[in-house]
This record gives sequence, C-alpha cells and structure tokens, in this order.
Amino acid sequence: MKKISLAQIKMNRKAKVIEILGGHNLQNRLMNMGVHKGRELLKLSHIGLRGPVVIKVGRSILALGHGVATKIIIEAE
Amino acid sequence: MIKKIYLIGNPNVGKSVVFSRLTGVQVISSNYPGTTVEISKGYLQLGGERIEVVDLPGTYSLESTSSAEEVAVSLLKEYNKDEIAVINILDSTNLERNLLLTLQLIEGGFPVIACLNMCDEAGHRGVRIDIGKLEDILHIPVISTCAITGAGIKLLIERIKEAAAVFRDRLTHEERWKEIGRIIEQAQHLEHRHHSLREILEDVSVRPVSGLIMAAGVIYAAFKFVRFIGEGIINKFTDPLFINFFQPLLEKLTFHWQEKGFWFHLLIGDLINGKIDFKQSLGLLTTAPYIEFGMVLPYVISFYFVLSLLEDIGYLPRLAILLDNLLHRLGLHGYAIIPVLLGLGCNVPGILATRVLESKRERFIASTLISIGVPCVPLQAMIFGLLGKFGGFYVVGVYLVLFSLILILGTILNRILSGYSPEFLLEIPPYRFPPLTILARKLFFRIKGFVIEAVPVVLLGVLAINVLLYFRLFDFVTGIFAPLVNGLFGLPKQAVAALAIGFLRKDVAVGMLAPLGLSVKQLFIAVTLLAVSFPCIATFIVLWKELGVGDVIKATLLMITVSIILGGTLNLLILR
Repeated sequence: MKKISLAQIKMNRKAKVIEILGGHNLQNRLMNMGVHKGRELLKLSHIGLRGPVVIKVGRSILALGHGVATKIIIEAE
Repeated sequence: MIKKIYLIGNPNVGKSVVFSRLTGVQVISSNYPGTTVEISKGYLQLGGERIEVVDLPGTYSLESTSSAEEVAVSLLKEYNKDEIAVINILDSTNLERNLLLTLQLIEGGFPVIACLNMCDEAGHRGVRIDIGKLEDILHIPVISTCAITGAGIKLLIERIKEAAAVFRDRLTHEERWKEIGRIIEQAQHLEHRHHSLREILEDVSVRPVSGLIMAAGVIYAAFKFVRFIGEGIINKFTDPLFINFFQPLLEKLTFHWQEKGFWFHLLIGDLINGKIDFKQSLGLLTTAPYIEFGMVLPYVISFYFVLSLLEDIGYLPRLAILLDNLLHRLGLHGYAIIPVLLGLGCNVPGILATRVLESKRERFIASTLISIGVPCVPLQAMIFGLLGKFGGFYVVGVYLVLFSLILILGTILNRILSGYSPEFLLEIPPYRFPPLTILARKLFFRIKGFVIEAVPVVLLGVLAINVLLYFRLFDFVTGIFAPLVNGLFGLPKQAVAALAIGFLRKDVAVGMLAPLGLSVKQLFIAVTLLAVSFPCIATFIVLWKELGVGDVIKATLLMITVSIILGGTLNLLILR
C-alpha cells in the first residue's frame, strides 16, 4: 500500500481516497459529486500523458481534468 | 397556499422532460449535464388554479460551486418557504449521489416532494428501489416516474400538495454521506448484472486508443450523414419543387409584366438569360425563398437530426474527454466542445451554451472563437452550394482555414489573457436510446425555431438589398471600402455590399456573391471573410448580452483585425 495521486496509478486499478488537496471550492465540488475521503473508486481511463482521468465512483462515471486528478491522493490496492 | 413550484435536481436527471410533461412547454433536453442554461417557466393547472412552474439549472448541492448552481439556489430563496413546493427530481439509476441534494433540501426546511425519475432504466439496470421504505425514512412523498413515457406524472401532480417541510437535523458533509449510505442500504437493492453491450460501448468510448478510433468514426459518419440527408432533400424534394413547379408558376404570373420596373426588380429580380435563376435573380419571391428553403433548410434539418441523435445518446461528453488535451491549449477544457458543436448549427445557441463553462475568461475565449471560427449551418450550406461545384478541395480548404484560425487565436488568447481556466470536472452519462418520438419532437422544435427566426430576416435582407441597389445607395459605402476590398482582398467592389449584408444574415450575403461572377479564388476569399468577420446581428446581440460591452468591443476589434490580416494573406498566398 502506498499513497500516490490518482494521476499516477494505472488504468483498471481500484483505489481509496485518502486526501483531497487543493482549494475549498474543488473539495466541495468533488464532495458533491461523491468523491470524498474514504471513498473507493476505480480508475477507468487516462487519456494521453497529461490528459483527463475517468473514474467510476459508486454508480457514476466522472471525468476529471489532469490537474484535479493529481490533487486526489489515494491508496492503491 | 402554493404560489410557485420549483423543479430542482442534479444535472442530467431529466428535469426538463418532467417540466415539459407538467406544463406542456417544450424545452430542449439532451443526455448531458448542463443542457438547461436558461430558466424556463410554465404553468400547471392544480385544483383549478394556475401555478407557475420553474425549471432550475441542474445542481449537485445547495452549497453552490458554479454560477449555474448559484442561480438555481438564489431563485429557490425568492419566495417564503410556505408559499412554494419543491419537486426534487432524482435519477433512480444513481440514487446515492442524488440523495445529497434531497437531504440538504429537507434540512433546509423546504417543502419537498421527491420524484424518482428514469424508473424504467433503473429496472433494466437491476436497480430496485423500495419507494415505501424511502418515504418512511425521509418523511416526504416519494413518487416513481418515467418522464419520457409519462408514467407516474399524474400521480406526481396529484401529490404535489402533500409537499410539506419536515424537521431534520442539519448534518455536516461527511455525516450526510454516511447517512446516505445507511438509506441506500435499506431502500435500494442491486441485482448483479453482466456487462451489457451498452456498457462495453460506454467503456470503449472513453479509453485512450479505442476512444479516439471511435471518435474519428463517429465524426466522419456524422458528417457524411448530414451531407447525405441534406443533399437527398435538395435533389429529391426541394429542387424539383422549385424548378418544376414554382418557377413555371412565377414565369406565368409575370409573363405579361412587360415593364420591368421597381416592383419587378423587387419581387423577381434580374432575369438571367431571360429566365428566373433562383440562385442569382435576387428577388423577394425568387432568391429569398430559394436560399432559405431550397439551400439552407435541408441542411438545417439534416444537421439537427444528427446533432440531436448524438446529444440524446449521450456521446458528446465522451468526445469532450478525448478533446480535453487539445482544448486546454486554447484556454478551454473539454466541455467547450458542446458550445462549439451547437455553434455549428447556429452561433446563437452556441454562445448561450458557453454558460456551461465556469469562468468569465473561458466564456470570452469560447464565444469569440465561436463567432470567428465556427460557421453556422446556413453559411456552410451556402458554401457547399456555391463553392462545391468547383470541387471538394475548396470546401475543405475553407474548413481548414477556419480550424487553423481557431487553434492560432485560441493559443494567443490563452497566452495574453490574465487568469487561468478551471479544470474539467464532469459527470459522464450512460448511453441512452430515447424513443424516436422524443427525437422527432426536438427536431421539429429546433426547425420551427429556425424558420421563425430566419425567414423574416432573410426577406428583410433581400428587400433592403434590392432597395439599396435599385436606388444606388450602396455606391457611397462601396466607394469608401473599395480600396480595402479591392486592393487588399482582391475582390471586386460590388462584393462590399455582400460583405455588409453579412451583418444581417450570412446565407443571404453568400447568395449575393453568386451573380457577381467571381473567380474561384475570389469566392474562396469572400466566403472565408464572411465566416470570420462580423457575426450576424442575432449573434452580435447575444454576444453583447453574455459578455457585456467591454468584452464585445474587444471581440469585435479582434474580428476586424483577423479579417483584414486573413483576407490580405489569402489574397497573397493563393495564386490561382
């Protein structure tokens, strides 16, 4: 188990959110969409090197800009 | 006493469809978050009373984090809580995420009634929700509906009066998610389902390699399909109608009209080789209807058919993911592709749709790029109609010039404008296959909108042209701009009139170029300039409203500069 950002893990990996860096506004937006501390998610896709990351949280599919993905610190299985 | 009913819910849960069902007011609904950027209002008959119903933009939370959400929340607070009823619309297939807003509404003391929409889809996906249990836990009326088919709407209307404030402790964000977890455990049962073909397709379209291949395929097919349907309607339907029926009729009616004075000039225009030529005569009864119904309308129909199909299936947000990288270089993020695609139909809804972008900076960049580099369907149809006969090369050329212009301008704007553009954060909807009746209704609604807005302006435009040309009033303006247009762009001075009319409507302006006998090079430069230079008046007004005076002046100066540089460069570069 190691703590890295969502941008760093490979596709098709499950992970658990440990911390969300960044401003209050971003934390709130993610929280409202169901991404919060302790939440499990699955990384579905990562487009290009610095492109967006697609994740599955609960029953929703979310697309996050690369910058957002680097701010989500996770614990990979 | 209920004075107002509000519809509130997460983005893309079908609020607008419920709204249409309740009020009979048709509004555009699509399968992506943020379709509703304007507040729609309608009326519902409830117990003999006429109550206003307001469709609010989608919001995930009452603690607003974007401007659209802010609007929704502030409207909700306009009236006293005991004078309103709030219909909270939820997506049954994703109850968990939707319940956050429901809990906030109840905690906030609003009289809420929950409407679990898309119940049929939830069933297909193996989601079973115990409505009774949910009512017991939340202490508010819960109704299961399927707004697309209308199921459950009657019950919803009957029970609106039961909406009442109930007491609930205010929770912190984290407590709320825990509470939602408990509710879900009691009221929702998931059946295990194998991956369906639809889910496999959903996955494929967001993966890096397969996604790009699919996007290329979809865009190519969409383009081919638009041309196929558009040309089909023209060749099989409108052209025969105009040439075999309308032309002989007009010629018969005007046969005895020997004196070809002002009125003849106004209604029929100039005869080409003694006959009416719909493309060149420029009369109120000849070229005006032909441009709108014979050249533009067929493509409006085919374009909106394909766009509506892609919208309702839910493909567009996936395209947004794939284009995020590219659009980032222009100071935008992937979701800007939605306003751009709408702008390809007509710049007005395109610029309105820039409201899905969060910052003012992004909205300025997107609106400016749309009004400069994204040609609307009427303009494109005319480009196909006039330039197409010289070969596909020239038509593709216009698109390439416009596309390069978007890239160059976007990069420059991104460098010089202060501030930064927010990151992409978007929910991707599942693929849906709405019934054809819904698609047909939306298509009809859009086409009706086009006809109502376009026809009067086209008639007015052709009328103005004819009066101005007949009394030689253009000569003054032509004289002033002739050195620029002739010297720099290499166009004849009569083209000044056409470029000026471009401010009224682009399709009429291109139509005016037809009788001038331009060379391919001149035609190419003229249509490119028409696309790039001033937007039409309708677009200009929307730009003004959306951006404010200061930014509109900036955008306008940019357009003029770009047109002059581009026209001059093209004139120098193209040799034939």
